[in-house]
Amino acid sequence: MLAEIGLASLALALLLALYAVAACLLGARAGRGATLRSGRNAALLTFPATLLATATLVLALMTEQYQMSYVWSVTDPQTPAIYRFTALWGSQRGSLLFWSLLLSLFTFGAISLNWRSEGTLMPYAIATMMATLAFFLGLSLLLENPFQRWWILPDLPESRQVVETALIPPGAIAPLPENLAASATGLNPLLRHFGMIIHPPMLYLGFVGFTIPFAFALAALASGDLSTGWIKATRRWTLIAWIFLGIGLILGGRWAYDVLGWGGYWGWDPVENAAFLPWLVGTAFIHSVMIQEKRGMLKTWNMALVIATFSAVMFGSFATRSGVIESVHSFARSEVGFPMLGFWALMTLIALILLLWRRQRGELRGERQFADILSRETMFVLNNVIFIALFVAIFWGSFGLPIISELFMGVEVTIGAATFEFFVVPLFIAMYILMGIAPLSAWGATSARRLGKAIGIPFSLTILSVMLLMIAGTSALVSILGYGVVLFAGYVALFEIYRGARARQRGLNENWLRAVTALFRRNQRRYGGYIVHLGVTVIGIGVIGSTVFQTEVQHTLARGETIVIEGYGLRYEDYIRAQAVDGRMMNIAELTVLRNGAQVARIRPRVDDYPDMPMTIAGAHSTLENDFYVLLLGGNRERATFRIYINPLVNLVWWGGILLIIGTVIAAYPKVIPARRGRKRGAEDT
Amino acid sequence: MAEISWAKPKHLSKPKKTERLKFLLGGGLILASVLYLLVSGTLQGARYFITVDDLLDDGAYQGQTVRISGAVDGESIEYDSENAIIRFEIVNIPGEFDDLASALRAALANPTASRLSILVEDEAIPDLLQHEAQAILTGALGLDGIFRASELLLKCPSRFEETSPEGLIAIPEHN
Repeated sequence: MLAEIGLASLALALLLALYAVAACLLGARAGRGATLRSGRNAALLTFPATLLATATLVLALMTEQYQMSYVWSVTDPQTPAIYRFTALWGSQRGSLLFWSLLLSLFTFGAISLNWRSEGTLMPYAIATMMATLAFFLGLSLLLENPFQRWWILPDLPESRQVVETALIPPGAIAPLPENLAASATGLNPLLRHFGMIIHPPMLYLGFVGFTIPFAFALAALASGDLSTGWIKATRRWTLIAWIFLGIGLILGGRWAYDVLGWGGYWGWDPVENAAFLPWLVGTAFIHSVMIQEKRGMLKTWNMALVIATFSAVMFGSFATRSGVIESVHSFARSEVGFPMLGFWALMTLIALILLLWRRQRGELRGERQFADILSRETMFVLNNVIFIALFVAIFWGSFGLPIISELFMGVEVTIGAATFEFFVVPLFIAMYILMGIAPLSAWGATSARRLGKAIGIPFSLTILSVMLLMIAGTSALVSILGYGVVLFAGYVALFEIYRGARARQRGLNENWLRAVTALFRRNQRRYGGYIVHLGVTVIGIGVIGSTVFQTEVQHTLARGETIVIEGYGLRYEDYIRAQAVDGRMMNIAELTVLRNGAQVARIRPRVDDYPDMPMTIAGAHSTLENDFYVLLLGGNRERATFRIYINPLVNLVWWGGILLIIGTVIAAYPKVIPARRGRKRGAEDT
Repeated sequence: MAEISWAKPKHLSKPKKTERLKFLLGGGLILASVLYLLVSGTLQGARYFITVDDLLDDGAYQGQTVRISGAVDGESIEYDSENAIIRFEIVNIPGEFDDLASALRAALANPTASRLSILVEDEAIPDLLQHEAQAILTGALGLDGIFRASELLLKCPSRFEETSPEGLIAIPEHN
């Protein structure tokens, strides 16, 4: 029964989405308000319909309906309740349905918030969002149906008796529940991690969220309303999508660090890169859109960026879900690959044709021209150039080079992590330098003298910090240079906050706390942006520390033996075999971590024996300064072998991520305008 | 910067020729630098991604750093944890296949398929190094016929096609 409810609601959602596309386009063309409203209502109803389908699948997962092949493939009777729930996005079919749910939710939100204010854009925006939703619902219904069930056809030869269909085949009987439960696959142990509980939904929220700005951009191009309305309508949606994608990337890194046991968090894998690409273009868009709002410039460029962001999302989904890209993270080869490629090409082509058409008609001409090479708009454009160069380099290495070489040479050519680092390190250095200079330049024009004067204090602080680092023993040129540029960007952000607060404190006689609070409240976007810059600075410090100064050693220790590595002592205490509540056996090493001879922690690296594979779980002693990270490789009570990593400052990567989230929330948080004052406070966003 | 004038002077609405030249030169320089980065990086770091058959059939690949993919034979896995040495064999995976799980199974079941000995030094054994896993390795084939890998990646088994329970489901008895 659950499968029937799920199927029916999925089909209903698809019909509603298709109807909404037709009604919105016809209504907009004929100027019929009733048709438009009917299309809008159908679009709104896709959310409850998709929610019902998703709830049905969740219920099936929670109540162990193993006849449903999706439930059978991602859970088993030993799966804990939390992982039963998260199994919704544990594999292709469930995650496609989850994607549709999020898109219908975003559409619901966008319609609810923008229907009245963006009358001209909404019909086309709804049509775009619904066309995308219809595509994903169609994939779920026709190619990757999560409501398929196992059936036995006793009349067929034995090798073909078990079939997997959504509808009941004639003469079919259901397999015995106990046999299904006994053979159920269960969730991969590697995915049983808190990062994997939150990482996919965050990533999907980011991916799906970028559909909204794309839909409004396409609506602006289709309707001819090319004012900044589409940007204002989607500003917060863009930030929301961007931050969710950012959280997803950070959590993915944390999962890799905790679970994959190689002491790193980013491996330049094509699938990791596919998720990073839309974030890069999205970051370029978040910056350049300010130029259009403030100066009426870069109209074509912003449209191109928003199209590129959505296009990167769709391409990334294709790369991950089609199985054509060789990656440790990709989904299995699936029939969704070709339709996804087609949809990606179609949507990108439609958007580009509309963009070129409007541009040719002169409707996207900028209101001003770039006049000064040191102006803030030039700095923002340079920032865009860096992000696009990063995009091009990573795309080239991940997809461009392998595809082109395969097509023209008949053999696939790839590059490794070292080459990606060769590409991106100079570009990231340039990005940090611009992150420092751009906030200090002014719109329109800035003289070199003024800019030099503004840079003075942050630059002096940077030099001082670098000298302190050198006195403290940092000698590697690459790290000194790296820390220098990263710290410069951070000092500029801090200095700008200090300067703004000082101006309020002096001018309005406010205390520091009030001045800072008022500063952030009155100009959320600008100062939220500085917190984001601080977050990126902290991440940069963490990345340099954990990559340039990482220590990796391997030792075999006898029970009671202690070794000393980089000031840390490690004593092997004991080796225990224990059984977990779910029945798996755990091989646990008891270790004491010492610093200056004193015990600072007891850690327990272990290897869990799951039925199909072992799972190595690191023991770590984490401080802001270092992560002392130990893997148990093998052994017994008398001797055991450990791989030990000391990752300096790695925790700053995660703390920087939290700062980045806080900054984005400040920037995107809706501004509260006190109604009783009877006047609208002017936006001071920069 | 708050203290710097926000107003754009009118005389700057059209860029001067010298400013335009600066923009062109700056843009050209950036473009050239990015192109240089891409071309030189690609030339230095590019390596062929080939099959076990390609590697063994073409002597030109011997000694060259290449990337290969193969099906892991679980019975051949040996791990010396004290010296961090992993040895195993991979089997050629046919180029064309519909689903990876079946291709890996078929490759390992084929007694005539090409096999390659792998040696990975100074690495912790990955949890995913299992029978019928897909290994993606970067390294070089030595004269002794052993492929010394500097990088070992394994495909997540959970992302394999949901396998069919064929043979696992007993047909219910009909009364």
